[in-house]
Amino acid sequence: MEFWTAFYAISFYFATFILLFGLGYKVYQYAITPAPLKIPTTPAPLTTGGVVIRLLSEVVFFRSLFRSNKWIWLFAMIFHLALWIVLIRHLRYFMDPVWTLVVLAQPFGKYGSFLMLFGLLGLLMRRMFVTRICYISAPSDYLMLFLLLTIGISGVLISFVTRTDIVQFKAFILSLLCFDFNWQTMPTDAMLLVHLSAVILLMIVFPFSKLLHAPGIFFSPTRNQVDNPREKRHVAPWAVKEFETSPASTTTTSE
Amino acid sequence: MKILKFLGKLSCGLLLAMAVNGVSAGEVPMPEIPKAKSNFSAEQSCVEPTDFMRQRHGLFLKHYRHDTMRRGMRTLQHSLVACINCHVTADESGNYPTVHQSSKHFCRSCHTYAAVNIDCFQCHTSKPQESFSVDIGPVQSD
Repeated sequence: MEFWTAFYAISFYFATFILLFGLGYKVYQYAITPAPLKIPTTPAPLTTGGVVIRLLSEVVFFRSLFRSNKWIWLFAMIFHLALWIVLIRHLRYFMDPVWTLVVLAQPFGKYGSFLMLFGLLGLLMRRMFVTRICYISAPSDYLMLFLLLTIGISGVLISFVTRTDIVQFKAFILSLLCFDFNWQTMPTDAMLLVHLSAVILLMIVFPFSKLLHAPGIFFSPTRNQVDNPREKRHVAPWAVKEFETSPASTTTTSE
Repeated sequence: MKILKFLGKLSCGLLLAMAVNGVSAGEVPMPEIPKAKSNFSAEQSCVEPTDFMRQRHGLFLKHYRHDTMRRGMRTLQHSLVACINCHVTADESGNYPTVHQSSKHFCRSCHTYAAVNIDCFQCHTSKPQESFSVDIGPVQSD
């Protein structure tokens, strides 16, 4: 078995393990972290259904960002939407037969990659040239952009310039997915190796980085709470145990 | 919490099931590519080295299509008709499949696998031609 095939196969298993369990642990941690205060940003929805709609509008349309800064919103929206299309297009390497939706996404994904790069470059420009953003930017902020740009640029180069044997590459990925440890040989074109290395690094760094905003948004108390502090008293379970104030005795508590 | 634990167990179970399946069946889906009828030369199986053809046959078909149609350039070494004549093989009953009829068609076996559209055959035929002696005009070398 060739060195690169074994190297990338093991790296992929390792990175997937880190990503899945890291992400799972983080979500678990978010879920058990107490939210002691009732702090939805008003005007906030009065019902659970309303909260679902609010969260969806955050997740799908980045509503808060739109209200605070239009052009960052534009770059962010372009980048995230293009990333979705590109990710859907990449599903073709992970399934056989390929779903019709994924087949239909192929031509869009191909050009979506340019939009993705455009959005990323916009966000990078913001970080570098808007003075106050530049001042608060940490190395990890640049690292995320750098990794995503590396993935995007090498991907575009593979697709449009240097090429690789995608049939053999799919066979390699499927042999990983089938846990067939007699792995299919991986093509070793330079750009493909760069592309995959950046993907593996991003997968490993994901559960430790600000990319956790993806699951994190669902756990933001200012966004996921119902605005009903008078109808229903907000008590965290640990506070009940700690201070022996049972929710039943709430009526006598002076507020 | 219970839901999380349940999801954790479920994902572990799925992984395990996949592992057991994969190892016992050991079936990685692969494209079934029919063998070509002959070699291009003693040293080389196709018109260009095999690795090169696997990565870049699209360039010949697409870019040379432009050269042929717009600029009247024709080459004998890279010709769609010759690809089809050599690569598309008959099934058990001796019939040649078209690209739309059979997933065992040479082009389709990989193109379906990789979900890449082929638009050649909206105009061209995907079956070998019995007599390939069309007047192709002045031939230029590459």
